[in-house]
Amino acid sequence: MSKIKWLLFRKKLIFTIITAILLISFKTDSALQKFRLTGFAQGTTWQITYFAKDSLISINQVEQIFTEIDSSMSLYKPFSIINQFNASAKGVKIDVHLKRVIGKSKIVSEETNGIFDITVKPLVQAWGFGVNSHNTIPNKTEIKEILNCVGNHQIILKDDSLKKLNPCVQIDVNGIAQGYTVDLLANYLETKSIRNYMVEVGGEIKVKGKKSDGNHFTIGIESPDDVLNLPFKQIISLKSGAITTSGNYRKFKMQGSKKLSHLIDAKTGYPIDNEMISVSVWAKDAILADAYDNVFMNMGITKSFEFLKSKKDIEVYFIYMDKSGNVADTATTGFGSFLKRG
Amino acid sequence: MSRRTFIKQSALITGGLFVNNQLFAALVNNDNKIMNIGIIGCGDRGTGIMKVMKELPDLYKVTAICDTLDFRLTNATKIEAAKVYTNYLKLLEDKNIDAVVIATPLNLHFEIAKAALEANKHVYLEKTMTHSIHQAFDLMEIALKNPKLTLQVGHQYRSSPLYYKVKEMIKNGYLGKVTQIDARWDRNWNWRRPVPNPSLERAINWRMYKEYSGGLAAELLSHQIDFVNWAFDTQPNQIYATGGVDFYKDGRETFDNIQATLRYQKEGMVGNFGATCANERDGYLFKIKGTKGTISLLMNEGIYYPEKKTKKELDTVDGVTGATKIIWNTDGGFPLLPESTLDGTWYALKDFYTSVSENKIPDSNIFTGAKTAIAVSMINESAYTNTIQNWLPEYNKFDLKEKG
Repeated sequence: MSKIKWLLFRKKLIFTIITAILLISFKTDSALQKFRLTGFAQGTTWQITYFAKDSLISINQVEQIFTEIDSSMSLYKPFSIINQFNASAKGVKIDVHLKRVIGKSKIVSEETNGIFDITVKPLVQAWGFGVNSHNTIPNKTEIKEILNCVGNHQIILKDDSLKKLNPCVQIDVNGIAQGYTVDLLANYLETKSIRNYMVEVGGEIKVKGKKSDGNHFTIGIESPDDVLNLPFKQIISLKSGAITTSGNYRKFKMQGSKKLSHLIDAKTGYPIDNEMISVSVWAKDAILADAYDNVFMNMGITKSFEFLKSKKDIEVYFIYMDKSGNVADTATTGFGSFLKRG
Repeated sequence: MSRRTFIKQSALITGGLFVNNQLFAALVNNDNKIMNIGIIGCGDRGTGIMKVMKELPDLYKVTAICDTLDFRLTNATKIEAAKVYTNYLKLLEDKNIDAVVIATPLNLHFEIAKAALEANKHVYLEKTMTHSIHQAFDLMEIALKNPKLTLQVGHQYRSSPLYYKVKEMIKNGYLGKVTQIDARWDRNWNWRRPVPNPSLERAINWRMYKEYSGGLAAELLSHQIDFVNWAFDTQPNQIYATGGVDFYKDGRETFDNIQATLRYQKEGMVGNFGATCANERDGYLFKIKGTKGTISLLMNEGIYYPEKKTKKELDTVDGVTGATKIIWNTDGGFPLLPESTLDGTWYALKDFYTSVSENKIPDSNIFTGAKTAIAVSMINESAYTNTIQNWLPEYNKFDLKEKG
């Protein structure tokens, strides 16, 4: 065999081997099976869908993660660390979960000039949207008094301790904990070498990779309307990242003919009252998306877009009421690229 | 990063509807003008409306009632201690009355509504609008001469947000191409009211006699006929109906069993409207069937059943983000509203109040009411004479005025 011929043969051989490897790996990919786990936690439903050669996680393991989170930050568990903190005069030692969540809360709070605020709990309770729901409306004096206990500066995170400046300070991480849980579950899947998955807890979602049919995961954004609550307003397809939604279209109280949102403005002490109906936020991590969806609900359309000018890693879809009272929607350009149809 | 509007005014959501109801509620609360009402006809329907008005004290006060039967007046005064009349013309002379509710036998609708408009009263006229086609036209003429007065026809079911939603869904193509409509209103009883004295038989059981009533088509099926006209902005161009006094052979004249086929040529639809007094299994049934899905309606709730192919399209998503999750019924249907609506009369009376105070034409108005009255007359004519009835071009002579 001449040298040239040998080189050609070698080239052919390498090509064949590469092709064979590719074919094998392709075959392996298509052999991925779909697994789906579902359950009930944090007062809502959850589901995990993943594609793998074999079943790699069990419901028990997932439920253990939920239990851990509940023991840390559930307001519904009497002995949770968060409830211990809320009952304390000066503060308590906290676990790693609460520490991460509060750390992130502080960052988002600073970025949003205090719009995101986990010390809002006494206000939420006063308006009857807390653990003990009620129908009385707080008066001006009461709100003014409660505002003395509210503000991110009132809590100090140092090492493993969370301290408060005032005994009346209480925190509520419901606006961010679910997102954190989604991230935690996703990380757990990653440790099991799962690379194609969707994690969803109460409508907050994180995805990665593809399904066995080669398509990315599709997600419907619920139509926030009491009259036409038909399936989906928009359907998006995500390669990766998290999407969460905040809306005041289901959870509200009536004061006479006025709807009171369950989202309370920590600065004014009153329920937010603007054009927003629902906000869906995409971000790399669910904790961030979850924190920001409430922020944009509070900001309204104009301020949100202003804020988003300096944010590169967040995409948002807004549903709001326009000036003539019609429901309209708008989104960032990046969000438009997620749309499957629309 | 730039804004991008995907849908300027959402077709899916039609927020205007619900939102406006909310705004409306706010408006009403700030308005002190309570409308004084005279009720003409205090039978089941008249007193039923009185009870709903009691629930809307910011809007209505029943100040006068009228009936020719004493026991009905006694009964009605228990609901509201209003001034009592036995002659509606006297009631109409009462200057304090802003509007009247006419809930009398069908044969009296025209003359009382005419007198009320001429006495400068707004009118809430029970369905069916008139007993005959020519009365419908005459009433339209009179109403057009009194543009400041509101005349609303009591096809109350379609005043509810549920029926608006269905209209919107049809418009936005959720059902695809609709070809069939099935509507029934069945019962298993004689449809009679107790008569304290045999001389009152015709006055109380007027529904049994052709002179006073259009029978099951007028008293029941007219609601569904009216909804189809309104939702599809149409009317049947051909009707054939059949029926008879098939079970209650008790001297009644109007049929206790009837079936009408309504052809909507332009829309390419067939409507099957039937009612019997001898089986109650279906009760109220209203199904609108299209290539993409079916809507099945009760008076206060509705379910959307997508066709197999449509369901597949809806199920393609892997996850849902939102405040509440979509939950399909076990039978493959999707509830149109999270909860049942109130009685249709409640919404109809709110609409009446807005129409009067803003001088706007109500959605259930004299034009839609006339079309339904004509269709009902055609059904009875067809069934009583074994003939096919055609919608005549002159029946549309008010169309332009309606649009204007």
